[in-house]
Amino acid sequence: MLAKIGDWLDERFSWREVWAAIFERKVPHVNWFYTLGSATLFVAINQAITGILLTLYYVPTPDHAYDSVVYITTQLPFGWLIRGLHHWGASAMVVLTVLHLLRVFYFGAYKYPREATWITGIILLLIVIGFGFTGYLLPWDQKSFWATTVGTQIIGLAPFVGDWMLRIARGGRDISAVTLARFFGTHVWILPATLAALVGIHLYLVIRIGITGVPKKDE
Amino acid sequence: MNEQEKKKYLDEYKKEKEKGVPFFPDIIFKDTIAALLIFIILAALAYFVGAPLEARANPADTTYTPRPEWYFLFLFQALKYFPGKLEVIGAMVLPGLLILLLILLPFIDRSPKRHFLNRPFASISAFVVVAGILYLTIASVREAPPPQEAIVVDKAAALYAANCANCHGPSIDVPVGTDLHQVIAAGTHEGMPAWGGDLGTDEIDALAGFILSPNGSAVFTKYCAVCHEQPLVASGNPVELQRVFDEGVNYPSHEGIEAANWAESLTDTELNGLLNFLAAPDGQRLFVINCSGCHGQAVGYNGTEEELTELITKGGQHLDMPAWKGTLSEKDMDALTSYVVDPAQNSGGATLFGQHCASCHGNKVPKAPDKESAIKIISSGGAHITMPVWGDILTVEQLDALVQYTFAASKGGGPAAGANLFAENCSDCHGKSGQGGLNPSRHGDIIAPISSSEYLKTRDDATIRNIISFGQPDFGMSPFGAENGGALDDEQLDAVVAFIRNWESNPPAEAPAANAEVQPETPAAPSPNLTSLTGAQLFTIACARCHGPAGEGDVGPAFNTKEFQSKLDDQALFDMISYSRAGTDMIAWTDKLSKSQIELLIQYIRTLDPNYAASLTYSGRVSAILEANCNTCHNPEKLRGGWDSTSYQSLMTSGDNAPAVIPGNAANSLLARSILGQGSQMPPIGSLSQSDIQVILDWIAAGAPEN
Amino acid sequence: MDKSEGKQLGRRNFMKVAIASIGGVIGAAIGLPAIPYIMGPALQKESDDWIQLGSISKVELNIPTLFKKTIETQTGWIDTEEEISAYVLTSNGQDYVVMSNVCTHLACRVRWIPEQDSFFCPCHNGVFAKDGAVVAGPPPRPLDRFESKVEDGVIFIKRG
Repeated sequence: MLAKIGDWLDERFSWREVWAAIFERKVPHVNWFYTLGSATLFVAINQAITGILLTLYYVPTPDHAYDSVVYITTQLPFGWLIRGLHHWGASAMVVLTVLHLLRVFYFGAYKYPREATWITGIILLLIVIGFGFTGYLLPWDQKSFWATTVGTQIIGLAPFVGDWMLRIARGGRDISAVTLARFFGTHVWILPATLAALVGIHLYLVIRIGITGVPKKDE
Repeated sequence: MNEQEKKKYLDEYKKEKEKGVPFFPDIIFKDTIAALLIFIILAALAYFVGAPLEARANPADTTYTPRPEWYFLFLFQALKYFPGKLEVIGAMVLPGLLILLLILLPFIDRSPKRHFLNRPFASISAFVVVAGILYLTIASVREAPPPQEAIVVDKAAALYAANCANCHGPSIDVPVGTDLHQVIAAGTHEGMPAWGGDLGTDEIDALAGFILSPNGSAVFTKYCAVCHEQPLVASGNPVELQRVFDEGVNYPSHEGIEAANWAESLTDTELNGLLNFLAAPDGQRLFVINCSGCHGQAVGYNGTEEELTELITKGGQHLDMPAWKGTLSEKDMDALTSYVVDPAQNSGGATLFGQHCASCHGNKVPKAPDKESAIKIISSGGAHITMPVWGDILTVEQLDALVQYTFAASKGGGPAAGANLFAENCSDCHGKSGQGGLNPSRHGDIIAPISSSEYLKTRDDATIRNIISFGQPDFGMSPFGAENGGALDDEQLDAVVAFIRNWESNPPAEAPAANAEVQPETPAAPSPNLTSLTGAQLFTIACARCHGPAGEGDVGPAFNTKEFQSKLDDQALFDMISYSRAGTDMIAWTDKLSKSQIELLIQYIRTLDPNYAASLTYSGRVSAILEANCNTCHNPEKLRGGWDSTSYQSLMTSGDNAPAVIPGNAANSLLARSILGQGSQMPPIGSLSQSDIQVILDWIAAGAPEN
Repeated sequence: MDKSEGKQLGRRNFMKVAIASIGGVIGAAIGLPAIPYIMGPALQKESDDWIQLGSISKVELNIPTLFKKTIETQTGWIDTEEEISAYVLTSNGQDYVVMSNVCTHLACRVRWIPEQDSFFCPCHNGVFAKDGAVVAGPPPRPLDRFESKVEDGVIFIKRG
C-alpha cells in the first residue's frame, strides 16, 4: 500500500530522483567534525519550532512581554522546556556555527570550488548573531534591557552615521516599545526569512558540490 | 589556483567520493547521533539550569550594571582597551575588518594547500584570533561585578509615605501611651481622615508599628519580609513573638529555616525594634491583645503606678477564683457550664455569666472543652489562670505604654475629666446630662438634647470637637476652643468630647422632667437680692434710669414705640442687653443679670409695645407660636390628644379634654397649664420661651380673640 | 565479498533504524510536551484554596474588624489583583463570623460605622446590623458570609 502511494507520488513529484540526488550520493569518508554543520542545522530547526511555540503566548509590548515570559516559564506545562530549549539553543547556535566555521577553515574547505558556500556561511553567522542580539531583548528583563542599551549604543559609535543608525535600531532615542516591537519583528520575520533563504542556498551548494574529504598531509 | 590545479583537485575528489560512503544512512547516522547528543545537552540545561529571567526591565534603574550575552562579552571586554575616541576602533573597525576578512578569505588565500600544517600562517592567525576572543571572554567573566541582591521594599514605609507623610512629614513624635491604632482608624484630630474604612486592620497595625519603630520595620523588611508578606505582619501577639525568639528553629512554622535563630542572629537593639514594630507600644492595643482576653475591656485597679508596673512586669498567679459550688444552684451551674462550653448554643447562661463571672472575666468567655471539665473548674475555683511574666515578653516601650494606659483607664481618665469640664462650661445651656433646654441666647429657640443616641450617632468626634472649639455663633454658642478665644485647651476639648461620646455607650440617667430644668442655674449668678424679681421690677432697677420708668425714653431710646419694637427681634434685644454698646453708656448686663433675668426683661419690654394688647389675637401672635411649637403633633393627621392647633376654630373646640382654651380663664385652660408644666409638660421636648408663654397667657386672659 | 557486503547491509539497516528511532525520540521529546504546552491554559482549573486573612488577635469582641487580603487571579499572564475585604466579628472569642463588605444591593462597599453600630452602604443608604442583617434601605438580603476556619490563631476564608 505504502509502495503504491510512493509510486503514485513519484509519478507526479519524481521524488525518488530527488531523494537519490540528495541522500544516495556518495561522499568521502569523513570524521565526527563533519557533523558540526548538520548539528547547527538541527539546532536551527529546534529554534524554529520552539520559537514558533513561544510566539503562541509571547506578547512583544513592554507591559506584557515580561509577564508573558514569566507565564510561559512558570505557568504553562513544559513552558520551561520550550523556553529553555530556545534559550540554550541560541547559545548552541553561536557555538556550533563558530565551531563549524573553524572546522571548515582548518580543513581548507572554503577553497575551490566552495568559495560561495563559505561566503553564504559567513553571512549565516552574521544572521545567527543578529538572532541572538534581537532575541535577547524580548524577555524585557533588566539584563535584556540594559544589554540592549549597551549593545545599540555601540552602533552609535560609528563615525558620521552612528547617531542616525542608533535611532533606526532603537526606533527613537531610547529603548522603548518601538524598539521591542521592531526587535521582535526582526527576530521572527526578517531574520528567519533571510536565514531560510541562505540555508537553502548553502545546502544546495553543499549537495551540489559535495563535502570535502579530510585533507591528507600532502594536500 | 590555476585551471590545472582545479582539475587535479576535482579528479582527486571524484576518486575520493567513489571510495566513500552513501550520504544516507552513513553520514546521516553520525549527524543524528550528534543531534541527539546536542539535544540531550540542551534539554539538560533547560531542566537543570533553566532559562534565566531577571527582574522586569526598569529603565529608571540607574544602578543596574549592564552585561551583554556571553557571546558578545569579548567585544564588550575589547572596548575597555580602546578608551575615548579609540572606542570606535574596538567596537566597529576591528569586528568589521574581521568579518570582511572572513568573507574575502577564499579570495585572499588562493593556494591549493588544504592541510592546516601546510598553511601555517593562516592556521596560526586563526588560532591567535580564536585564542584572543576566548581570552577576552574569560577576562570579562572574571571581571564581572558580583550579582546584585534583590531589594525588598519596606512596605510599611511605603504605606506611611503614601498615606501619612503628606501631612506628618518623615516621622511622627508620639507620646507614650497613645492609642495609635485608634487614632489612625478613627482619625481623631482636625483634618485627619478616619483611615479605618480604607485601610485594613493589618495595614493600620503596620503603620502604627512603623511610626513607633521605623527601625523595626527595616529589620522586618530585611529578615522577615522574604517569607512574611508585609503589612500582613506575622503576628501582633507579643506572647507568640516571644515564643518565636525562644524556640528559634524549633518554632513550628520556622522549622527547617536555617536563619530562624533570631534571638542569636539579631542584636538586642534589632530585636527590640522588631518587637516594637510588630506589636506597637500602644497601650490600648496591647491591653486588647494581651489583657482583655482575661480582664475584659476594663480593669479596676486601686494601687499606685509603680505597683501596677511591678504587677504587670512580674506576672504570676494573681487570679483566685472562688469555688462556686455552694453558691450556685445546680440548675444555674448546668446553664453556666453549658454556656461556657458552647456560648452560641446555650445562650441561657449568658445572664448568669454576666452576673457572676464577667466582673473578672470581662466579656470574654473562657473556653472549656467539655461540660465535665467546665463543671470541675467552676465548682472548685482556685488559681487556675496564671498571668504571664510580661516583663520577659514585652519591650520597655511596650510595658510603659501598657502600664500608662491601664493606670489611666483604671482611674477613669478621659471621660471623668471631661465630666467636670462639661459641668463647668456646657451644662448651663445643655443641661447637666446634655438634655438641652431653652436657648438662653436665642429667644424661642430650644436646644435639642446632645446626649441622645440619634445626635451622637450622626456626629463623629471631630465634628463635636469643632462645634465646641468654634462655637455656633448662629445659635448663640460662643467658641470654647483656646484657639478661638475660649477657655478650653486641646486636651480639655478632647476630654469633653470623650465625656459626650461616653453617653453613647452609657446613656445618662433618665433626664429629670424637663420643666424642672427650664431655667438652668447659672454659675455666674447675679447677686442674690435680684434673683426673685419679676420683669417689671428688673426693668425699674436696671433700665428705667435711662429709658424712663415706663420705657418712654430718656438718655436711651424709648421702648414704647412701634419702630423700636419692630426693629429689634428678641435675639437682637438679648444681645443688646447682654453686651455693651459702643458709643453709649449702656453696660454689658451679663455681669449683673443672669440669662433668665435678661429674658424676663425682654418679655417685659415687649409688653411696652403700644401694639402689644392689640397683637394679642390668634392671627396676631398666637398662631405663629402654635405653628412653631405645637402643630407638628397637633394637626389633623396626627391629632395628638385629639387636639388640632392648626386653626382657630379647631384649637378652640377639639381635644380629648376640650376645650383646651377657656377664654378669660388662663388658670384653668388646659393649654396654659400644659405650657406652664402643670400636669403634662408641653411641648415635650422643652418649655416655650418665657415671652411666648406670657403671650399665650395674656391672650387667654384677654378672652382669646381670633382677630 | 558477499559476506562483507551482507555485513555492510546489516550495518546500514541498523543505521536506518537508529536514525528513525533517534529522530522519533527527539521529535517526541519536543512534540509531546508541545501538546500540553499549547493546551495548557484551557486545562487550568480554578483554585479553591483557603485564603489566609490574618491573625485573630486583632479582632476585638463584638467589633467587626476589617481585614483586607489581596489575592491574584490570573488570566494568562495578566494578574488581576483582587482585594478581598471582609469584616470579622466574634461575640465570644471562639466563634468567628466573616462577612463580605460588598453590599447585597448593588455591590458597593459597605463600611462599619462604629458610632452607629452598623454597616452603612454609601450608594443607596443601605444599613446592616453588626451581624450583617438588613436594618434599612434597599439591600435584599443580609451581608454575604464567607466559609471560614481558625487555625493557630489565624483566620482563613474560602471564596464562595
